[in-house]
Amino acid sequence: MTLVFLFSGIFPLAGKAEESFSKMVGPVKVGTVKQNSPLEVPFITWGGDMATFYANGGLTTQSGSIFSKKGLNINLVPGDDFVQQVRNYMEGKSPFLRGTFRMIGMASEAIGSNPRTKGVVILQMTWSAGDHMVVRKNIRTLDDLKGKTVVLQKGGPHVGMLDDILKTGQLKWEDIKVIWKDDLTGTPNSPAEIFRKDKNIDACFVISPDMIGLSGGLQSIGSGAEGTVKGARVLISTAELSRSIADVYVCRKDFYDANRKLVDKFVAGYLKGCEEVIDLKKQYEAKGSAKYMKLLKLTQDIYGKDVIPTLEEDAHGLLCDCTFVGYPGNVAFFTGKGSLHGFDAFQESALNLAVDRGYAGVRTGLFPSGLDYSSPAFIGYLTKTEMTKAERFKAEAVLEEIELLSAGGGLDDRTIISFTINFEPNQNTFSSLQYGAEYQRVVEMADKYGNAVFAIRGHSDPTKTLLNLVQAGLKKGVIKRSGTRGNYHYSFQGKPLSLANTTAVVDLVEDGQFDGASGINPRQTMQAALNLSRKRAGAVRDSIINYAQNKGLTLDKSQIQPVGAGIREPFIAKPKNMEEAKQNMRVEFRLIRVEAEAASNADFDF
Amino acid sequence: MRRKIILIFNTALILATLLSVLPDKTSGSEYDCNNVVIVLDASGSMKNKMRGTSMKKMDAAKVAIQEVLKQVPVDTHIGLLVFSSSNLNEDWVYPLGPRDDAKLSKAISLPQAGGRTPLGAYIKKGVDRLLAERARQHGYGSYRLLIVTDGEAQDRDLVDRYVPEVVGRGITIDVVGVDMKTTHTLATMVHSYRRADDPASLKKAVAEVFAEVADTGSDIAGEDAFSQLAAIPDETAAAMLSALSISGNDPIGGKAGPGSPSKKTTFRKQSGKSKGIGTIVLLFFIMLIAVIIIWKVIAKR
Repeated sequence: MTLVFLFSGIFPLAGKAEESFSKMVGPVKVGTVKQNSPLEVPFITWGGDMATFYANGGLTTQSGSIFSKKGLNINLVPGDDFVQQVRNYMEGKSPFLRGTFRMIGMASEAIGSNPRTKGVVILQMTWSAGDHMVVRKNIRTLDDLKGKTVVLQKGGPHVGMLDDILKTGQLKWEDIKVIWKDDLTGTPNSPAEIFRKDKNIDACFVISPDMIGLSGGLQSIGSGAEGTVKGARVLISTAELSRSIADVYVCRKDFYDANRKLVDKFVAGYLKGCEEVIDLKKQYEAKGSAKYMKLLKLTQDIYGKDVIPTLEEDAHGLLCDCTFVGYPGNVAFFTGKGSLHGFDAFQESALNLAVDRGYAGVRTGLFPSGLDYSSPAFIGYLTKTEMTKAERFKAEAVLEEIELLSAGGGLDDRTIISFTINFEPNQNTFSSLQYGAEYQRVVEMADKYGNAVFAIRGHSDPTKTLLNLVQAGLKKGVIKRSGTRGNYHYSFQGKPLSLANTTAVVDLVEDGQFDGASGINPRQTMQAALNLSRKRAGAVRDSIINYAQNKGLTLDKSQIQPVGAGIREPFIAKPKNMEEAKQNMRVEFRLIRVEAEAASNADFDF
Repeated sequence: MRRKIILIFNTALILATLLSVLPDKTSGSEYDCNNVVIVLDASGSMKNKMRGTSMKKMDAAKVAIQEVLKQVPVDTHIGLLVFSSSNLNEDWVYPLGPRDDAKLSKAISLPQAGGRTPLGAYIKKGVDRLLAERARQHGYGSYRLLIVTDGEAQDRDLVDRYVPEVVGRGITIDVVGVDMKTTHTLATMVHSYRRADDPASLKKAVAEVFAEVADTGSDIAGEDAFSQLAAIPDETAAAMLSALSISGNDPIGGKAGPGSPSKKTTFRKQSGKSKGIGTIVLLFFIMLIAVIIIWKVIAKR
């Protein structure tokens, strides 16, 4: 349940979603931030802000709280109306902006119009894990999205998410029809309700409670009962597309320059709050925690019971829908080299989106935090500062799941996108020179979809196995062949081999009547084909890892799992020539959603 | 006498040759291991000397296996299963796993020939272990059962029953006869049956198994593979491949053998499903009629 009413007040004007942000803000006189104590700091409805509440002890800084111990005096104020937030920021009521990175990007031109109010991104709080694209059954994978109608809130966090999804599918905004709605959730005009009522709408962007209402759950398919929409399911969620929505704090440049120590304290205090909230959450989930319950109650008090009706489901769920990045995440985000989800990459995509969609006329850059993360303000004060990143996935669990999905026919339903590369017979080396474009795509998507897995599925051509099977049948006399070279005819029990007697032939294959022919073993050929297919997949995986290393790009190897499909899924079961056979010789990349159990637990995602 | 000594060395050579053709590990992971389970006959008849020599069959078998281990790739997983030994309590003298040459050599030297010849039962035991390993390796790798024996099994019915099933499950069976009659049952049923004095046949065993047709489209004989298959209907070809692709990893001798319901292909399952639905519908109507009759009887009262 993310951003419940976050953007309900944004872009109040009806009509085209892509409007100039400056126009929405209207004329504003840039003022100086006059008051440092108490310092006004905006918050929004999001689990990441619960760590702010915790650090502050409430809306005002409480004695004994983390911020209090840092000497801060903060007054937290609601900021769900982002346009008003920007006005306050420029007028000097608050030096801070609170939003998603892409929202900040949309406002970049407005805030960058004056050197004093240019934005310094000082803190990454979280990644979203609770926003979802729900589709009808006519969309099985992203490949089916072209030409479809999608409904989402205008100007909200899902704009950037949709932009990421379109890029994943190598689609443009013009390839889909977008219906914009003012509200995010909870009204008849919200995307979930429009999707429910209008069967012509193929997909919608929703938050967790709406997603559950439409499909029944992240891995479920709506049955039509209990308010769900028959056939509705989550195609893509930030549970997998985990590096799409980054929640951040931005500080005015003039205030930042004049108050570096205060900014240090605010960032360090927030990160300390994250550490303690994470530990409390673990305690709560293991054996209960009165202190955690107190935080949930504080959250409910701040947001109100209409937004957070229950503590255990709604307040706890709000926190579960986000993933903290902590100290390591901030260091990686602002200073990491080769990261595809770092500040530079995010700024570029946010500004591109802002300009391309008309929110900004020109690209106006933001500043990275510039904080000294090795200073005593952080090191020694924080406890979770380990930068070594563990592998995200458990290899055996992932392999097991992919193999089960392959065997059970459920792989398509879990596939976000797939694409293939082809090669030559018995080829098992794959140069990045030849396949560099595909490898780059894999590396980028693996990074963006940090909680999804790339199954690299090797396939081999079945012609040799089929030929061996026929030869074995001939040798054992199960089938007969007549005619001359180039013009053969096959028969079974005195009749031409045809569809009519296929069942009987299949029975004999299953009963082992084609086995045991001297010198011909189709099963061994088939096994060799299976091994070859995995060998191909493994070689491709190794090449991708090498490619990423050579390019200086980070890649979590555990996200890429090679598997072999052997001859099970040929494009053409009986190729007529080598060209057709080569269509079967392929490696398929499938970005798939896996069960949470396949992932290793970690405090932070970075 | 000289011929028989050659026979012993040839036995070793055969074993070595067969096992040295195991494919390269596919990508160096634990799922790609090649696996060989050796079933060694230590029945009473193995006490006897090879005909025309002073060497006991058991000793000849041990020499052969030791020779094999010099040739087998070091990363091949080996298991040694011995039956009827007079001096061992455990039949898995060397459980299937990574090879440790010192331990393996010692294990091979241990068995002393003893009792009966329950070959069928031990084929099952060795194969079941391979199938369990295949399940663990998700089907990748290779799986061979190497039987080293001197004669007819006393549970021939089990041999006759199990061997086709083992072959149908895609496990390769190699048999090396130690001074064994050429009319042995296994000779006609397994993938390779080698006599030690037939070295020419060994070359066939070393041929690499190619998974796909070559770029020319030719098979081994040089004939175009595609034209050979042209007259096979596409749907029939697909169904045959599908049938071949299905092989479970359940223990043999149960319901998962060739032709058993659990091993049927999708092609067959579809017909099975419709039969199942038909039966349910029929039962439903019978129950419905029964309810109506009972209701009418009650209503009359």
